Amino acid sequence: MSTWIAIAGVALSTFLLRASFIVFVDPHRFPHWFRQALKFVPPSVLAAIVVPGLVMPGGTLELPPANLRLVAGLVAMAATFRVRNTVAAIASGMATLWALQWALGHLA
Amino acid sequence: MAPVLLGTVPFGFAAGVAAVAAGMSASQGIALSVFSFSGIAQLIASQLIAAHSPVIVTVAAAFVVSLRLLMYSAAIAPHLAHLDWRWRTGLAFLMTDQSFASAARRYGVSGGGANRHWHFLGSASTLYLSWQAAVAAGVVAGARVPASWSLDFAVVLTFIALLVPAVRTRAELAAAVVASAIALFASGLPFRLALVVASIGGIGVGLAIESRRRR
Repeated sequence: MSTWIAIAGVALSTFLLRASFIVFVDPHRFPHWFRQALKFVPPSVLAAIVVPGLVMPGGTLELPPANLRLVAGLVAMAATFRVRNTVAAIASGMATLWALQWALGHLA
Repeated sequence: MAPVLLGTVPFGFAAGVAAVAAGMSASQGIALSVFSFSGIAQLIASQLIAAHSPVIVTVAAAFVVSLRLLMYSAAIAPHLAHLDWRWRTGLAFLMTDQSFASAARRYGVSGGGANRHWHFLGSASTLYLSWQAAVAAGVVAGARVPASWSLDFAVVLTFIALLVPAVRTRAELAAAVVASAIALFASGLPFRLALVVASIGGIGVGLAIESRRRR
């Protein structure tokens, strides 16, 4: 039951955030600093998800060469920097990770 | 549109796998996706449900990672203000990182015509349907994908694809660096609170640098 309540809460949160300014209030009625702060949401939230996912994939700090995900993630970052699309990131990152796993005999 | 869909399918599949792995039933995993339509929110919710977190913590974490949507909403609202509430509610429900990016591009071009909301609806609902299909496939096939495929890594890669173009100025870079550092040092906090603390810290640093530059 609590899982269903959590699902409803998550769905309501995402909808209210999306609809906030489009349906309910005029963004110009908010103070300037608030709109400035929103600009920093994507770099902050995404970095806080990505960097721990690369540096501590198993929950503890790991460095290359043992940490293949960090290497693959850096390759994907470089690729995305040059070619700005999602496919470049996924293709280059997964290809690098699989190649490294295969080379180290990890691939079952 | 095609490259966006190519990125969506593995991400949606991974989100479906994560929901089942978190102990959700197939109908719960699909309901979460159909009603929230946000990969990041779905994944965070799955992780917290798997950790048996209190409902309020799960919802709060999903709220914080979804604050981006507030920014997209503010940016796109003036372009949709002429539409009636049904159009605005529908387009708002369908808005994602990807559809915002393509809409922003289209609305940025002057003289794009009066039917741009139809383009928005078309591309966003295509994305919605393919996302749900990918999640459903993940929910059904989930348990059978071997862990050695490292499919969960596709999720991190999708976020990299969003992060790189989001860092354009020095203030945004500082926000990203500070948020990363806090996320690592605070990783011991329960219920993924590190993510929340790190996000707020990054936003604060970005704002501080921006306001000092203006003075």
